[in-house]
Amino acid sequence: MRLRTDDDIYRARLLYLGPPGYTLPFQLPYAQYGLFALLVPVFMLIHYAFTLTVDLFPAWEIALSMVATSLVFRYVDPDRPARMVLRTALTDWRRTREPRTERPEPSLVASRVRVRQELL
Amino acid sequence: MTTTPSRAQQAQSADPPRSDDTADEARRTAPSDPGPTASGRPEPPPDSTGGPAAGATTGPAPLAVFRAPGAAPTPPTPAPPGTRPDTPAGPGGQAAPPNPRPGQPPVDRPSGQYPTIPDGGSGAYPTVPRGHGDRSSGAYPTVPPNATPQAPRPPATGQQSGAYPTVPPPGPQPTTGQQSGAYPTVPPPGQTTAARPSSGQHSGAYPTVPPPGSRASGQQSGAYPTVPAGTGSAGAATSSPGPSVGVPPAAATTGRGAQTGTAGARGQRSGRGTASRGPATGGTAGREAATGGTAGRERAAGGKAGRKGKAARRQPTAAPPVDKRRMPKYKDRPAPMALAITEIAGHLTFTPTTVTAWYWLPEMRWAFRPDTEREAMIVAIAEQYAGLAGFRLHLRRTTKPFPADEWARVIDANTPHPLPTPPGAPSWSDHLVSAQRHLLQVNHAEGQTYLGITFARRTFKDNLVERLGALRGKGTGSQERKRAARMVGQFDEVLGAFGMRGRRVTPTELEWLIYRSVALCMDPPQLLSSIRNSEWEQSDLLALTEQIERYRTPYGSTVKLVNRLTGEERHACVLTVGRMEPLEIPERHEPWMHFHERLPWPMEISSHVDVLGPGDTFRNLEHRLRMIRSQQSDYVEHGMDVPPELERLARRALVVGDDMTTGLPLDASRVHGWHRIAIGGSTREECLERARALTKMYSRDMRISLQHPKNQDWLAREFIPGEPIANTGYVRRMPVKLFAAALPQGASNVGDRRGDLIGRTAGTSRRPVFLDLHFPMEVRERSGLAVFVSEPGGGKSTLVGGLGYLAARRGVQTTLLDPSGPLARICEMPELKPYSRVLNLTGSQEGTLAPYGLIPTPLRSHFADGPAGDREYEIGVSNARAERRMLVQDICSMLIPPQVTREASTAALLRHAARQVPAEETSTLDDVVRALRGTDDDGVELANLLLDAAEMPLARLFFGRPPESLTDPEHRDVLTVITMAGLRLPDLKIEREYWSAEEQLALPMLHTAHRLAVRRCYSGDMNARKMVGLDEAHFMEGWRSGRSFLVRLARDSRKWNIAGLVASQNPKDILGLDVQNLVSTVFVGRIAEDPEIAAEALRLLRVPRGVGYEAILGTLSTSDTASDRRLPYREFVMRDVDARVQRMRVDLSYVPELLTYLDTTPTQDRQEPVPAAAPGQEAGR
Repeated sequence: MRLRTDDDIYRARLLYLGPPGYTLPFQLPYAQYGLFALLVPVFMLIHYAFTLTVDLFPAWEIALSMVATSLVFRYVDPDRPARMVLRTALTDWRRTREPRTERPEPSLVASRVRVRQELL
Repeated sequence: MTTTPSRAQQAQSADPPRSDDTADEARRTAPSDPGPTASGRPEPPPDSTGGPAAGATTGPAPLAVFRAPGAAPTPPTPAPPGTRPDTPAGPGGQAAPPNPRPGQPPVDRPSGQYPTIPDGGSGAYPTVPRGHGDRSSGAYPTVPPNATPQAPRPPATGQQSGAYPTVPPPGPQPTTGQQSGAYPTVPPPGQTTAARPSSGQHSGAYPTVPPPGSRASGQQSGAYPTVPAGTGSAGAATSSPGPSVGVPPAAATTGRGAQTGTAGARGQRSGRGTASRGPATGGTAGREAATGGTAGRERAAGGKAGRKGKAARRQPTAAPPVDKRRMPKYKDRPAPMALAITEIAGHLTFTPTTVTAWYWLPEMRWAFRPDTEREAMIVAIAEQYAGLAGFRLHLRRTTKPFPADEWARVIDANTPHPLPTPPGAPSWSDHLVSAQRHLLQVNHAEGQTYLGITFARRTFKDNLVERLGALRGKGTGSQERKRAARMVGQFDEVLGAFGMRGRRVTPTELEWLIYRSVALCMDPPQLLSSIRNSEWEQSDLLALTEQIERYRTPYGSTVKLVNRLTGEERHACVLTVGRMEPLEIPERHEPWMHFHERLPWPMEISSHVDVLGPGDTFRNLEHRLRMIRSQQSDYVEHGMDVPPELERLARRALVVGDDMTTGLPLDASRVHGWHRIAIGGSTREECLERARALTKMYSRDMRISLQHPKNQDWLAREFIPGEPIANTGYVRRMPVKLFAAALPQGASNVGDRRGDLIGRTAGTSRRPVFLDLHFPMEVRERSGLAVFVSEPGGGKSTLVGGLGYLAARRGVQTTLLDPSGPLARICEMPELKPYSRVLNLTGSQEGTLAPYGLIPTPLRSHFADGPAGDREYEIGVSNARAERRMLVQDICSMLIPPQVTREASTAALLRHAARQVPAEETSTLDDVVRALRGTDDDGVELANLLLDAAEMPLARLFFGRPPESLTDPEHRDVLTVITMAGLRLPDLKIEREYWSAEEQLALPMLHTAHRLAVRRCYSGDMNARKMVGLDEAHFMEGWRSGRSFLVRLARDSRKWNIAGLVASQNPKDILGLDVQNLVSTVFVGRIAEDPEIAAEALRLLRVPRGVGYEAILGTLSTSDTASDRRLPYREFVMRDVDARVQRMRVDLSYVPELLTYLDTTPTQDRQEPVPAAAPGQEAGR
């Protein structure tokens, strides 16, 4: 029997080509635009937190968002959505020490499990 | 006792009642076994897995070795038959090489075996007394059964099996320092630690102290110098005399991690601490002091045992304050987290939100089955999965160590009279021990597959009831469980059908699964495999999960798991299934979740999937289809080229959608989920190396890419039943047939489980192969004929010889016929020499092969009473007569020149003469000659020809009466080897006319020698086990009597309990169709030259021909062309009596010296040339 997965269908690259009538010089997946749109306010917030001003045209923020988006999407593939990449970065950042150090994790203990021999 | 022992300790301590009475009684019980003595050899392991204490880690496996009772103890030899079981290389993947190199002594692999029962002394765990030949398996304290009545070696006075630390009386003691006290007891000075005979087994409940001299002083055992409960304050007092004797006491072993001869470094360091403190504190090696001392000492020891120190500190110490100057590295550990599972009830597990029903899936054969059967199996399994639509499944595959000791027990029970051991030779018990060691070393693990179906969401009310019940100690409410039981009934039906044939799991199996999931890829606790009767409390296994510590590094690619008790450290990494290319199962590919078993280390699999019925996913798919279409039209609008991929995907989406909406549930159901594989290694590099090997193998052969994602600790948690799924990436969406084709429960077992160990499977996984030649007759009630087919050099003779040795060892009356002669050397092995005999036909006296006497007459007593039995008896007698006549005619035809044989009158004359001579056992060929003379001229001519033939000395064997001693009426010899040394065997491809005189004689000699070999079996007890090994059976081809001989052998094998091994180079004629139905076991070796023989061999195996299995036969036992060395093993395709076919590798290396005796290949260092070393002989093999 020839057996194959359905994943190909879900892996189709859906790109935003541009508004009708104008083809953008670059084609990026829709998800990148979405992340970009989310990151710009974030960077503007950071900017505001430090300088307490808000630019009218946030050039730096836009540039930084573009860079950050492309950085994130370097690691994104159909099996690893952007939110997973971000989550990995955040969790491992929070627990980072030197690379060699091991952190003990809570050990998983089953001693409180009740065991019943029969169901009823 | 002021400290609170950990729960595991409580568990152990709970069992044997901690009373003085028991301790006394236990002490009175002789701890030594009547069996061969154990010399607890205290050698440090050659390689250590580097526990957290960075020292030698755990000791040998617990009870893993079963010793037969009543065997005479052998004198301590260079390879002491120690009861000390070697540390098994547990299936967790060792640092050890997968194939033990030949010639290596049984290595102590210090893998983190679970509380191991050391022999000879420094046990961490209390051991059952080996008194009565009992296979004391338990690591756990079981109440020692009755005191042993007999012990050939009464325990030396110094031995105690009590709980209390006792001071061995000073003075010479044959047994050195086997103490079973918890306290550092000091062996009296001047004691030798050299020979430590068995009595290391103490049945104590308590950890014992290894005598100090036995190991390097740097060793310490156990992390915690704990006082076994019950000694209490008395312990402190009793221990005082200990140190005062002056010799630095050996380390106190703790309740947990104490190691044996290989002793864990931790404990000994702590012991040293104790020791140093002991005298200082005036002998109060009390627990508190010891704890403090240990902690301090351990910290002083360089922080290696930092964790131990911290753990030690964790126990509230009431007494002297802990040394505060040096703090441990980790200030505190995160509190342990309880698993999501709250209750196990029957075969259900409850978490706060869900209920899961668990089923165990038996293994299915995959190898050597026709493709149609395989497809039918996959389709059946797919239907079962489709019937589970709407539920979430958790498919888990884990491993279980092979219970070698149980096997040894079974085989010992089946061997009522093993061969008595001559002095100086290894005994039956040693034989079993070395077999078990070999088994443990080669590290076989059986896979277990479990399927969990999550089917219910629990309501708020259920949760409330459970919480309230928990307060009262009751757990889930009965209403809920009743509801669950109703729903679960449908699963039983679905899963029990053909296909998966699942059955409900028992709570014990669930506990095993949970423990193995928490201790992912670690060595499984050996002792669990051997606990049968439970004095073992149910929840102890779960309590052991407390000991597993987890560590992770940031961005780490592995998770480190440490078992605090045994000090085992394991790095585990979890790979997830990524992109999968289309597979063709079963035509080209193997099942994709079974494929990993080709690698020699065991791995675990966990799949969380949702089974979606026909309507569920269609919406999602339709959405994707629309998106693809709109993207296509977008491209068109912008005037760009549409990538062809989009069209292809759209079409595929249409097809899939069509399947989903209009197909049968089998085609429509989808399985969406995550598939993970966990790999373990003892160091990080090893683990990653293995992961790389696995990834490469999958991507190369199956075109499945395995990814190594980042959050390893969450992924490792996912393996535990009930835990949440790690991430949403790597979801695989596949039709249910592809998921069914994963078949993690594929198996490769072959052979029964109660016979001798002959090797291991060489296909996908590695399982031991056992063969009991009498199993088909005694249990399955089929004939006992076993057939061996291969080309010369394929290893048939060696295998037959090895099986003959093993059978003789077990006391089975064995006769081997080996025309070329090498098997005669087995009779020189020291353990067989007094009981065996070589019958060399070329040097025998006249009448040895007289044909009339070779066929026995049945006795009336062999048949049932009554008229039916009478009739059978008469039929048997007349059959025997007919056979004699047939044989005589054939022998005469062989003796006269072939030109004469071909004349028509010859046959008539011979028939006439055979009719004249009474066909009883007492007739001889001389009578035939006389009868021939009485006929006409042709008859006289024939008689003269026969007499001419009789002039050759070898032909005299056929004439005359057989000598009495031949049939060995008293059955003194267990093993008889019949050889024809110096005889040239003819080449069957040449016409008979061109054979030399000697070759012409060889043919009737072979025929009659075969019958002579079998003749021995027909006297004596019908039901006693017998074995006959016949080599070169292909010479019987073409003769009527030859085939009838085999048929009779096959039929009589069941009646007379004869195991007949027939080795041949060409199965075509002899093993034709009718005999094939009577064959129970088939071994096919290398057949690379002749495709006809290969086809016949496949027919014997009942394996479909023409699909490529012939190529497999040609690749058996292939040696590496680049290497100069000889191939140390031979491979066969074996079919056992239960119709399982598997490729296996014969490995008899656990029998010392057997292979050198059986070595038939000429080499330069062989002293005496093999007598049949002529080129003609080579063809004959």
